[in-house]
Amino acid sequence: MAGKIAIVGAGPSGCYVAQAFLKADPGLEVDLIDALPVPFGLVRYGVAADHQGTKGVMRQFARIFERQGARFFGNVHIGRDVTLKALREAYDAVVLAAGLCEDRRLSIPGGDLPGVHGAAALTRALHEHPQAGALPALGPHPLILGNGNVAIDLLRLLCKTSEELNGTDLGPGPSAWLAGNAFEAITIVGRSPAARAKFDPVMIRELGKLGNVSIKVEGAGRSEEPEEQKRLEALAAIDGHGSGPLKVTFRFELRPLSVEGKDRVAGLRVEGPNGEETVRASSVLTAIGFDSNGDLDRATLLDEAGEREAGKLADGLFAAGWFRRGPRGTIPDSRTEAQATAAAILEEMAPDPARAGPAIFHKLENVVDYAGWQRIDAAELARSTPERCRQKLPSTGELLRAATQQDIDQ
Amino acid sequence: MKICVLYGTETGNAEMLAEDIQSALEDDHDVTCRNLADTDPAALDGETFHVVVCSTYGDGDLPASAQPFADRLEDGAHDLSGVRFAIFGLGDAEYDETFTQGSEKLAAKFKARGATQIGARLTHDASGDDLPEDIALPWITDILANMSVEQEEG
Ligand SMILES: Cc1cc2nc3c(=O)[nH]c(=O)nc-3n(C[C@H](O)[C@H](O)[C@H](O)COP(=O)(O)OP(=O)(O)OC[C@H]3O[C@@H](n4cnc5c(N)ncnc54)[C@H](O)[C@@H]3O)c2cc1C
Ligand SMILES: Cc1cc2nc3c(=O)[nH]c(=O)nc-3n(C[C@H](O)[C@H](O)[C@H](O)COP(=O)(O)O)c2cc1C
Repeated sequence: MAGKIAIVGAGPSGCYVAQAFLKADPGLEVDLIDALPVPFGLVRYGVAADHQGTKGVMRQFARIFERQGARFFGNVHIGRDVTLKALREAYDAVVLAAGLCEDRRLSIPGGDLPGVHGAAALTRALHEHPQAGALPALGPHPLILGNGNVAIDLLRLLCKTSEELNGTDLGPGPSAWLAGNAFEAITIVGRSPAARAKFDPVMIRELGKLGNVSIKVEGAGRSEEPEEQKRLEALAAIDGHGSGPLKVTFRFELRPLSVEGKDRVAGLRVEGPNGEETVRASSVLTAIGFDSNGDLDRATLLDEAGEREAGKLADGLFAAGWFRRGPRGTIPDSRTEAQATAAAILEEMAPDPARAGPAIFHKLENVVDYAGWQRIDAAELARSTPERCRQKLPSTGELLRAATQQDIDQ
Repeated sequence: MKICVLYGTETGNAEMLAEDIQSALEDDHDVTCRNLADTDPAALDGETFHVVVCSTYGDGDLPASAQPFADRLEDGAHDLSGVRFAIFGLGDAEYDETFTQGSEKLAAKFKARGATQIGARLTHDASGDDLPEDIALPWITDILANMSVEQEEG
């Protein structure tokens, strides 16, 4: 079939959808469009810099372009550079795989005091997302609020020594920031009991390899349920780990009431099984979920969706990944879902050869194609050092320059 | 020879490697490639040589796509004697104690049902510098070469 499909967002969900389409029918025209000059979304900018193995899926995604014939249109923001309406007219099917990039707000008194930072914003800055803000000063006692894998990723990165960051792709700026932080203590606070925390036990075990910390786990409690016991066993295994100067304390079952402090964070008021208390904090880092930034009017699209569960928003318009299901699920979940989504779309798609397809991008400036990304990739790999497997180009300007230049200045 | 490449995966790396193995072998052999999720242990036969590629998740557990196969293997009274297989493991050395245990466990399950393992289980480390196909293609080529020598001698 010669259908034309546009996928908005070249993160893991978009890439897996493209892969599934082209596997089902190599004759399809599949175009991946991303607001950034580079593909791969959270695999590049979310998955922790010290989890390079997980980033290995980028090799698979590269093949979608290099062997399966998908096309990349980077630096094209749908809704700004091209309207969704125009895109839908130009393609037989449009799949929105634009993710959710905003931190869910901490809606308690003091939740917007200086010193409260979201994990999405922080991890973007750590991983040199071109639209990230500067890395903020966190003071000697950061408090991490949240118990998902993202919270644990953040904790681990904050605790690592320079040596422990060897082999990552953490940039010079973020590396210097981490090294200069001199934290004395980090408290990680969860709302649920430890048994029902969202993190994977392996993520906890991994903390048992940190050299600079001494870890204490308080109030983990018990459980008879096997899955919950795995979590508690992992916590028990790291309780008491290490004798390093950086004190890490896990606290559970604490409901945040307010962020304390006059003109910046001084503590977090919480309510727990033993009543109320204030936990000392020089900054509060929230890892309590992600939300839409309002882009593409997601809320309205989902509200008006015909078959929301199946990811169908309207005729010829579909959703995938975090954009579709909210900020839940891992890269493997995205893959499983993508295969079902692609199959369902192919089932009902009726290609119209008159559609314009990628011609609608021709008049745009600075569109980065896949060859442009390959030049960026090569430039970043050329900057690698014995300690760093890659050095990302940190700004849109540098990325665009590398995309168009054959030889980038070193 | 009839070869069936079976893969157990979560993020698709094992599937990609399985397809690479299929492409590398299909000029000289009759090769199919299949997800373990869609494979019935009862359908494994002695005429086909099975090449298994399997990753690792959780705490040294099987990846999701291999789990239903392993459960079926466990539950049914399957006799795999006569079935020959080779197995390649994907993993990440960052998970040191459980490195590539998924493939190790799967190999044990095959053998517990009487299947014969051919060649050694080699592995790929996602945190290392090697590409999986650079390890797996010479591995399977060697195994097949040895098998044909043995057949001629046998
Ligand atoms: C910090 C963090 C760490 C994580 N670590 C892991 C991990 O280690 N392992 C794991 O399995 N899962 C991890 N996850 C979860 C995993 O990232 C998600 O399951 C998955 O990435 C969801 O992918 P997606 O493609 O839906 O969204 P994304 O990866 O966010 O991709 C969306 C893409 O759409 C683009 N986009 C957005 N709006 C527009 C627009 N208007 N026009 C054009 N393009 C647009 C964005 O630039 C982006 O590239 C992590 C998540 C986070 C937040
Ligand atoms: C959550 C998670 C847990 C993992 N656990 C292990 C493990 O215990 N042992 C191991 O060797 N590899 C482990 N890995 C690494 C994967 O096996 C490796 O990335 C592999 O290439 C994935 O292949 P796949 O895409 O076919 O699933 C883990 C990866 C993730 C994301």
